[in-house]
Amino acid sequence: MSTAELKSATGPDPDGASPDAGPAGGAPPDEAGPEAGRAPEGAPRGEPAAPPAGPPVEIPAPLDEAAEPADEATAPRDEGAEPADEATAPRGEGAEPADEATEPADEATVPRDEATAPRDESAEPADGATAAPAPRLRRVLSLGCVVVLLLAGAGLLFQARQLTTTPATANRALTDASETTQVIGDVSNTLGKVFSYAAQDTSATEQASKELLSGRAASQYAALFGQLRQRAAEQKLSLTTHVVRAGVTRLTRDRAELLVFLDQRAQRDSSAPTTAAAQLSVTAQLDAGHWQITDIRAR
Amino acid sequence: MARMTTQPLLIAAMALTLLAGGFAVWAGWSWYGAAHDDSAAYAASRDKALAAGEQAVQNLSTLDHNDLAHGLDMWQDSTTGDLHQQLADGRSEFEKQVQQAQTVTTAKVLDGAVTELDDRAGKARVMVALRITVQAPKEKPAAKDSRMLGELTRTASGWKLSALGQAPVGNSAAN
Repeated sequence: MSTAELKSATGPDPDGASPDAGPAGGAPPDEAGPEAGRAPEGAPRGEPAAPPAGPPVEIPAPLDEAAEPADEATAPRDEGAEPADEATAPRGEGAEPADEATEPADEATVPRDEATAPRDESAEPADGATAAPAPRLRRVLSLGCVVVLLLAGAGLLFQARQLTTTPATANRALTDASETTQVIGDVSNTLGKVFSYAAQDTSATEQASKELLSGRAASQYAALFGQLRQRAAEQKLSLTTHVVRAGVTRLTRDRAELLVFLDQRAQRDSSAPTTAAAQLSVTAQLDAGHWQITDIRAR
Repeated sequence: MARMTTQPLLIAAMALTLLAGGFAVWAGWSWYGAAHDDSAAYAASRDKALAAGEQAVQNLSTLDHNDLAHGLDMWQDSTTGDLHQQLADGRSEFEKQVQQAQTVTTAKVLDGAVTELDDRAGKARVMVALRITVQAPKEKPAAKDSRMLGELTRTASGWKLSALGQAPVGNSAAN
């Protein structure tokens, strides 16, 4: 069991490295299957010609099975069923007690007893630790099944991960409709507030900027607004900004990048207002359920 | 004697096989879910539409009077529907104008975003900010920032522009 655990424990690792290991790992048991099927078939045939010498020299593995048909008339049938059983490990091992049950009969007849005796001894320790050929084959097959299942599973999981963690799926813009709407709403509101002011009173705008901007955007804005506040008062300048259109280019759990088209309507004293277009690339960060603008770049 | 040692082994082997089988089934189920994930397909469509939209807007903002036929072929190749028809209809007239003006227009996309995407209908809307540089003979190149709104339609050969216009300035209060 310790080797089984070791192999199953190391199984997923090489597989994680290459998903192709799954199908490749499936090959050995498949190849072993037909071989195991062939051996018993050949054994009963060769046996009437030369029971003692023939089979042991040729193939060590089917030795037990080759000899057992000699013991009983029913044995070849059992073995005929075995190749199928061997494909599924538990059933193959389940067949063993039946074989052992026939052994006392073997012991009754002397010449055969001599022939089977060494095999009995080798078969029993095989159940415990060291392997006699047939149980070992069975064990390898069952272990192979487990390894193949593990490799196949790991391969599928790897494929699934490949499918769901592409750069496209990492970006939740539009795919997460409610979050997309929320970030557009928050950012549009913020831009409208911080880029609008009345000539007489710029304090409301400044207050809003402190609440709604952070990071680089806050320091950029502070520098800009220092000059602007003075001019606004001197030239009786007022500015109204609204968002014409905003789109999210990139959205993750707590970070968003947007492209925003703005109209800025400026009015100096009592002269006719002028409207200017502006394009901004905005970065926002989710903070306590509200999107804060952290960076603004003019486009 | 043999049965005593075989039985726990057998049970352990069965349990192990069962566990491995269960794992494989679960993995297969995860894979099936991932392969049929609508949002993954939607996200892929969005990125394709944006890439095609940005490229098409750039194509339609690029024209060299020395290479008019190729440039206008690109225009028609980037469009479909009404816009395609308009370009085809006005092509000869436009060729004359550009040959007279002898301008070389180049464009660089600064940023772009998909604002709407209907994957089933094969319709999408994009917004693109770009800088257009116009070089007239014996004049300094003039750069102008431009903001475009485009409508894309999916065709057999990918997403194509079916409408394109400047985002309006000044009447945004009405929007």
